[in-house]
Amino acid sequence: MIERLLERARGTVDNADALWRRQEQTAVGFESGRLKAAGISEEAGLNLRVLAGGRMGVAGTTAAAPDVEALVARARASAELGELVELAFPDAAASKLPSIPTFFDRTATASLDDLIRMGRLLVERLSRPDCQVNVSVEREIADTAVGNTAGARGEYRATGIAVTADVTRIAGDDVLMVYDQYVGADMPSDADLETLVRSVETRLTAALRIVTPPDGALPVVFTPAGLAAVVLPLEQALSGKTVLQGSSPLAGKVGETLFDERLSIIDDPLTPGRPASRPLDDECVASRATALVERGKVGRFVYDLETAARAKTQSTGNGRRGVFGKPHIGYTNILFRRADGVHVGTQTDALGGGLIADIDDGLIVDDLIGVGQGNVISGAFSHPVGLAYRIQRGEVTGRVKDAAVAGNAYDLLKRIGGFGTDGRWLGSRFSPSLLLEGVSIARR
Amino acid sequence: MKDRLAAAVKQSRAGYTEIRVERTWSSAVAFRGRRLETATVSEDQGGFVRVLNQGCGWGIASFTSLDELPEMVARAGELSRAVRLDEPIRLAEAAPQTADAVLDLDGDVRGVPLSEKKKLLDSYNNAMLDVSNLVVDTQASYRDEVSEVWYVNSEGTSLYQLRPEVVVSGTAIGRRNGSIEKGLESIGLRKGWNSVQGFEPQFRVVAQRAVDLLDAPRVRGGAYPVILDNELAGVFIHEAFGHLSEADFVYENPQAREMMTLGRRFGKPVLNVGDNGAAQGLRGTLPYDDEGTPTQDTALIREGILVGRLHSRETAAKLGERPTGNARAISFRHPPIVRMTNTYIAPGKAGVGFQDLIRDIKLGVYACGAFGGQTMLENFSFTAGWGYMIRDGKVAELVKDVVLAGNLFQTLDRIDHIAGDFTWNQMGGGCGKGGQFPLPVTEGAPHVRIEEALIGGDV
Repeated sequence: MIERLLERARGTVDNADALWRRQEQTAVGFESGRLKAAGISEEAGLNLRVLAGGRMGVAGTTAAAPDVEALVARARASAELGELVELAFPDAAASKLPSIPTFFDRTATASLDDLIRMGRLLVERLSRPDCQVNVSVEREIADTAVGNTAGARGEYRATGIAVTADVTRIAGDDVLMVYDQYVGADMPSDADLETLVRSVETRLTAALRIVTPPDGALPVVFTPAGLAAVVLPLEQALSGKTVLQGSSPLAGKVGETLFDERLSIIDDPLTPGRPASRPLDDECVASRATALVERGKVGRFVYDLETAARAKTQSTGNGRRGVFGKPHIGYTNILFRRADGVHVGTQTDALGGGLIADIDDGLIVDDLIGVGQGNVISGAFSHPVGLAYRIQRGEVTGRVKDAAVAGNAYDLLKRIGGFGTDGRWLGSRFSPSLLLEGVSIARR
Repeated sequence: MKDRLAAAVKQSRAGYTEIRVERTWSSAVAFRGRRLETATVSEDQGGFVRVLNQGCGWGIASFTSLDELPEMVARAGELSRAVRLDEPIRLAEAAPQTADAVLDLDGDVRGVPLSEKKKLLDSYNNAMLDVSNLVVDTQASYRDEVSEVWYVNSEGTSLYQLRPEVVVSGTAIGRRNGSIEKGLESIGLRKGWNSVQGFEPQFRVVAQRAVDLLDAPRVRGGAYPVILDNELAGVFIHEAFGHLSEADFVYENPQAREMMTLGRRFGKPVLNVGDNGAAQGLRGTLPYDDEGTPTQDTALIREGILVGRLHSRETAAKLGERPTGNARAISFRHPPIVRMTNTYIAPGKAGVGFQDLIRDIKLGVYACGAFGGQTMLENFSFTAGWGYMIRDGKVAELVKDVVLAGNLFQTLDRIDHIAGDFTWNQMGGGCGKGGQFPLPVTEGAPHVRIEEALIGGDV
């Protein structure tokens, strides 16, 4: 398909690149402990970008038998209105690809019954009186092909599986929701499912007792899930796009130590077993890791081809595209690492990742409500707690409600009070819990 | 197309079968700063089949290749049979509907050249950029679509709907050294080209606000009397209460059902809330939902008492209530689930205005505009675009980072004053639930006063 499309584009435009992707999903859903639905979804799409007269245009289609001529015509019409850009597509030589397994046979061949069995096991393990358990299992097989008129080609087949479980407990007017997930390219092992069950149970048990929230500027342990509000500003500010636009507070700060010197953050598309891993990006740029923050210093920003061209730098292989619209910058796997050589453990059993022993009064924040809805890139956040626990004299004393935490992500990460020993994947981010000091807690 | 779908439904051996096919024509233009990002026309199409066999669960298939329709009906049937249920799924009775429902296109966007759309957005984008050189970045986008939806089910319903939509939105980023603030304007309508003209003043206002906020202090955290403007009051009722009134939250959950018992008092007698999918010309408006049920105005809270909830046919059957036309899917890629349409707080007494709400507040917050909101059922968050302190009954200084932390039961019950100045707020974006985002919805409200609400921030 890609060949035919690029062949058609050649001669009528200066240059072109394209992506074809076919996805097949199988999903089962348990609602309140009962298997309620099983579904499949099949989707294929083609995205074309052209440079015509130095201007860029895009077009996409989900038609089963795409009319390539019409697609090229639409992309050319788009380019007539487009901006001038000097885009250099990678050539065949540049697309020597690293080896990374993306396809796992066990995931691809798992039958509907296998998926149902796995979901049922989780439902059984998580059931308890007065709690409603919802579980979903989704398996995906995707074929991707990318190519350009400079001769670069790439294709790969990938698998992914997501198992999510949420437990809701309603007692009077108190609603408690605890959620966790397993996401991977390979099927979860029994141990992985056991970890998921224990993670939900630990957080549920500790939440049964409700205690008064503290208030003031206090130490807060952000769990890997709770960390989202702190990480999001960084993700936006480290994007080459916001740097180019002048809206990133980290622009012009490369090499400056702005964060705790024990903190390193990388974007790594070559992490084995992760669904976001792939040998090349959606613009034919070979995958490689990018050091975003290195020992507290601002490292490299991430770029796609166009943003890199405008910023007069190189793509970091972070081009992502859908069927419609043009390629944009996307992270792959983001990993938080300790730069002082201390291994981040993966003991997910204890709430707080071993960071609470020395805390006299504070919080563990596992979920915040409304993350991403404020003025994110400024670093300022302010959110009611979704799931949080009070720490008193080194121990978790219960769940707090009706409290809000606020702070500035860039300021809080200047000094990290401690790295937890509970490093884990959550979606495409790996991090341990972090202890951050002086977080504002307001209560009613 | 209807005949083709009817034939495929007839082939199905299942007790219940429905097919939805969509073809969406859309165009989009986007600017980032002074630079055009994209100007493009797209065509998206695909189908959705949902099947229910006796004693079994739902079998679902979605696909982009319509040639495979008969095969997909068969596969959905097999999937349904793989889901064995002790307690069968029932669907509430619904009279079969046959109609062609073509909404007013108000200037068919398909007939307007892409270059004209670029010109319009350029003008809105420049309106923001020209406000001040402190406006360092903008994001402006125009998107329109005309969606054709065919729906046929095995009970005799056969519908064709033509649904237009147009959204223009802009974010202005103000920056001075390390301070970064934003202003957001968004207009979303179930209409066409004629309805999105002449909004330059609105875009100027939000860019000016981004600049003004650079000098504004952060609001101090704590509990305050709060007045919500119309826009934020709409987001509030959507997040705080609307999601809990969606019956899929309660229908399988006895404890939740008890919590949401009809007849329970949720607020003071001033509070009236509803959801109206049949309101004229709004973004959440549809003649029929995605199960073929006609939409309607559903009362949810009347004089402070819970009186209704939003249903699909499945949730209505389970609770012994009537379907309300709230089963919606964002596209053929998804099954219909219970969603809001146009949700509103009804106006208070005519003639009651903002001044009547603010007069006796000594220290409080006037929270305006909405960056967004999210609910975890009992607790919710909503983020104002900006706010003002209220001092001695008057609007005082501008403040930023105003985020309200709410508890459903406490907050609704503390609404003590509602103005008569009702407006619908037709924004772009939309609502997200169960992986389906953005669903076009509208919210409507007058100014609303909450006796006491928690605002996050430095303490």
